[in-house]
Amino acid sequence: MAAVNGELALTVLMGLLLVGVAAWLARVENWRSYTPLGSGGVYGGETGQAHHEKPSGLTRWLTTVDHKDIGIMYGLYGVIAFLIGGAMVMVMRAELLDPGATLISNTFYNSLLTSHGITMLFLFGTPIIAAFSNYFIPLLIGADDMAFPRINAIAFWLLPPGALLIWAGFFPIPNLIPAQTAWTMYTPLSAGVGGGNQANAGVDLMLLGLHLTGVSATMGSINFIATIITERAEEVTWANLDIFSWTILTQSGLILFAFPLLGSALLMLVLDRNFGTTFFVNDAGGAILWQHLFWFFGHPEVYILVLPPMGIVSLLIPRFSGRRLFGFKFVVYSTLAIGVLSFGVWAHHMFATGIDPRLRASFMAVSMAIAIPSAVKTFNWMTTMWNGKLRLTTPMLFCIGFVQNFIIGGITGVFLASIPVDLVLHDTYYVVGHFHFIVMGAIAFAGFAAMYYWFPLVSGRMYQRTLGKAHFWLWIVGSNITFFAMVLLGYGGMPRRYATYLPQFATLHQIASLGAFLMVIGGLIWLYNFVVSYFEGPVVTDGDPWNLKEYNLYTGEWEWFDRKLKTTITDGGDEEVATDGGLHGPVGAETADATDSDDSGRAMDANDE
Amino acid sequence: MANKIFDKETLLDLTVNFVPLFIILFFVGVFAVLNPWGGLGDFLSIVAQGLLIIPFIALAILTYISGKAIAGDEKTKTVFPPGQATVPGTPPLTHDEDDGETAELEGDSTAEHADEPAAVESGEPAVVESDETAEEDGETAQIEATESTDGDGDRSA
Ligand code: HEM
Ligand SMILES: [Cu+2]
Repeated sequence: MAAVNGELALTVLMGLLLVGVAAWLARVENWRSYTPLGSGGVYGGETGQAHHEKPSGLTRWLTTVDHKDIGIMYGLYGVIAFLIGGAMVMVMRAELLDPGATLISNTFYNSLLTSHGITMLFLFGTPIIAAFSNYFIPLLIGADDMAFPRINAIAFWLLPPGALLIWAGFFPIPNLIPAQTAWTMYTPLSAGVGGGNQANAGVDLMLLGLHLTGVSATMGSINFIATIITERAEEVTWANLDIFSWTILTQSGLILFAFPLLGSALLMLVLDRNFGTTFFVNDAGGAILWQHLFWFFGHPEVYILVLPPMGIVSLLIPRFSGRRLFGFKFVVYSTLAIGVLSFGVWAHHMFATGIDPRLRASFMAVSMAIAIPSAVKTFNWMTTMWNGKLRLTTPMLFCIGFVQNFIIGGITGVFLASIPVDLVLHDTYYVVGHFHFIVMGAIAFAGFAAMYYWFPLVSGRMYQRTLGKAHFWLWIVGSNITFFAMVLLGYGGMPRRYATYLPQFATLHQIASLGAFLMVIGGLIWLYNFVVSYFEGPVVTDGDPWNLKEYNLYTGEWEWFDRKLKTTITDGGDEEVATDGGLHGPVGAETADATDSDDSGRAMDANDE
Repeated sequence: MANKIFDKETLLDLTVNFVPLFIILFFVGVFAVLNPWGGLGDFLSIVAQGLLIIPFIALAILTYISGKAIAGDEKTKTVFPPGQATVPGTPPLTHDEDDGETAELEGDSTAEHADEPAAVESGEPAVVESDETAEEDGETAQIEATESTDGDGDRSA
């Protein structure tokens, strides 16, 4: 009897719990429904005011499925990763100031090297692109939100645990050391065999963290493919889809084919390390198997990272050149061509491994072919600017910097794709110079161009232009100094991934560190500028802060912004305007803390002409 | 039908993909004719050719599909400037602009601008990048920004 009663009580309790969960879920559902819709759409009347329906404070950010909120979180995440990855490399550059191992140990150098690469590629690169694509693609194509808003949220929330796992080795946890495998995780080192210390669990955690970020990227890519194909507004056709959406669509296709492969290879490696499987044992050719699997993912990955920035640059350069993109369809088709061909070139990373010369030759041929669509784009950007009415605003400067750096990065790449040249330069600083011209000089530059360009839209305020320009000049000078020094080091025969070096390389290494230091100053200026301007910058009251209407280049996301301003600002004539449903207070009486006068900014502009 | 979509203009747009296709085909031919490593019969030579032929086929298919999708929409639907379709009042591209997308056409699109709202003439002030984070002397952001806009050399054009 007592037992039956107990069971009954349990059942009732369980039922209550389920009802509670259902009620809670329904509430969550409600929050979702009241999310402000990108284009007004069904809830047109409520757009702008709908912010009130979101829970406030931390709950809002933890529960949001709004593509704009998720975009902001991706952005914040990417920026934090960028600062951490940057700090890591600065320790390395300090160590490289003199030939010996003076500042840090060789093993710690290797740990930083590994973490810097993985952080910048997987925790900064991919997320910062996702920040812009999440926020702006639905606005650009006139969709209400992403096709799967919750998958979107899940994809983001896999990233923070991923980062913690990847960095776990650095945390003060007993018996845990950071991975020292470099981002390529070549076996047998990464398989933990032999006398080294890489059998440590820190490496396993890093592999699992990487796996999580891969799952995240795959979920995101499925979402973007579905969104761009099915959620476009009726008037957005394949013939007028904007270039950024095209590049994200292509990138998502690449992610869909590349990342699951990385995930599988990582799991195989984890199995080898922990469960006695022998996928990558040396004697059966396993080491080369890893390289094939890794680079079949790895080369598409570099295009996963560079295509959307190319899209951003293709979107922005016309806006500040006063004319439409020259040869728009060339850019679209070449983007798609790069997407396909990027799966056919992976073994150009393996020319020096002793694979069959016939296979090498084929990979060389396709690598030459893929250079064409990349080169076509640079010509499109240049012809767009040619005789255009250039406005050298900060985002435009970063775009031009992108083009400059991409040209050097691309050309050094074509040389590496030539087998005889690569056999000399493989595993030297030349390769490091090559890809930094692209990953920092191009990808990061485009990311910052986009941050400046859309800052007024996201924050409702304007940044300080003089600081923006100072940031640009420090970066363009700094990056060229650093990465050109690396190219020269490579010509001299300096191998990559070493904490120490022969004395004859000292000068070039010091020059490289100098450039890196300039970039740090630029980065700090950027950080100051954005933080201060976010809270105190002049409020943007016009939906066209870049004057795009004048050139008939006004795009959908600004139109959305304009509508938001009009529905949110109650009194346009007053300075006491509040923006964005309480995110910021009204503009009060701020004190002028900016030292640059307006004139200097203008003078600078005049000089640019 | 297919011929209507793949007319001269579309094929011209697709040249950008024909070039890499041609390069790959060229190497297929070179490796077959010169046969530098002897014997096309063995497995690795076939793999080597496959490494060229598979990307070739994949790119050819994608070029066809994307060309069909883009040119097809171009011919059957209103073509707006990219990214601007959802902006109310954006004039669709004329056929000429649409084909060429070239600079001259954009340069002298005065006819098109004529029937636009007067925003162009009035030089509607816009907030552009500002030097000051905080507003000075009670100036509003709007005013400051307008000044900066005037400072922009491009306006003199
Ligand atoms: C223009 C087309 C390009 C060609 C022909 C090319 C060619 C190459 C080659 C042959 C290598 C191997 C060098 C070696 O290890 O000996 C290489 C390395 C690399 N490239 Fe490129 N590249 C191109 C564009 C890019 C782009 C767009 C990116 C980045 C988005 C990129 C990122 C990298 C990276 C990260 C590595 C080094 C990988 C490593 O060993 O850690 N490349 N490139
Ligand atoms: Cu590659």
